[in-house]
Amino acid sequence: MKVLAKRITLLITLIFMVAVTANAQELKLGAAAPLTDLKMDDVSNRSISLAEAAKGNGLLVIFSCNTCPWVARWEDRYLDLANITSQNNVGMIALNPNERIRDRGESMDDMKKRAEKKGYTFFYALDKDHKVADAFGATRTPHIFLFDKDMKLVYRGAIDDNANDATKVKEYFLKDAIEAMVAGTAVVKPSTKSLGCTIKRTE
Amino acid sequence: MLPLASIAQPVLEDANADQILELIESQKGEKAVLLNVWATWCGPCREEFPYLMDLKKKYSDQFKLILVSGDFKDARSEAIDFLEEHGVDFTTYFKKESDQSFINKLSDNWTGALPFTVIVGMNGEVTAQWEDKADFSTFEKELLKAINQKTDQ
Repeated sequence: MKVLAKRITLLITLIFMVAVTANAQELKLGAAAPLTDLKMDDVSNRSISLAEAAKGNGLLVIFSCNTCPWVARWEDRYLDLANITSQNNVGMIALNPNERIRDRGESMDDMKKRAEKKGYTFFYALDKDHKVADAFGATRTPHIFLFDKDMKLVYRGAIDDNANDATKVKEYFLKDAIEAMVAGTAVVKPSTKSLGCTIKRTE
Repeated sequence: MLPLASIAQPVLEDANADQILELIESQKGEKAVLLNVWATWCGPCREEFPYLMDLKKKYSDQFKLILVSGDFKDARSEAIDFLEEHGVDFTTYFKKESDQSFINKLSDNWTGALPFTVIVGMNGEVTAQWEDKADFSTFEKELLKAINQKTDQ
């Protein structure tokens, strides 16, 4: 019991940690999507805003990139998500906020190659100067934000609970959230976490 | 790449969040702690890793360095190679828990981005935490605050 009490004490201490570098505050559940009219360059050579990418039942935003191994592991599920969102009249857009390493694999040309190679069927736009990532409080790739028909946040976090193997997923966090949102029911787990690559912000 | 034989892996042991928390707690009143969660696939983690080793050399008697690899299971041997390349000759840890559980137990304020650093003072209080990489001077400044924390507070 003593050990358990110690652990609890430490856990409480960790929860109230002092931040040296203020981590961006994640957008709160229920909050309206910010910067919805900001135009961003897409791999299709068009410009697109979040408002334009959204469909009748909402919008799925994935902060993604070309160089993160976690994205590479989860990327086999991107096309499934595109199908699920499409079937549910929900828009989908991936945003690349990695401004600090545009010259190391995260340029628009690199994004176009990635989209073509992986057969992306959704928007993949460049989040210049990570403005949208900052407004969302996104910290990593992949980092998910799901908005409802009123563009209010209903889910944030991970795609599912197994980056390594899509066939061994036990909890389909995002898929369940999309289906609950479209059905008009509460999202059971509206906020989840996973390891990921830090967003490479400019200093 | 095949995993190395167990006798060749003294630098990496499996651990869950409870075990890491217990390890941190055991240092209370004895040493400050610097916990760093890293991965071989994480560029910023690799960039800052030498600073951690420099700190360990400079302040070895005054703090405990706890390194936790968040690598994928199939990259365990790469993690060992990386540790050995950097002269790690002490026990470090390999996350053996689901991300969601590990992250939530370790810190409410950690979103899961790597690298992640927590510094705990001599009296067991967390004095600093951050995601993303840091330079040597930041690590040193924050570590010294923790080392110099009075234990009778």
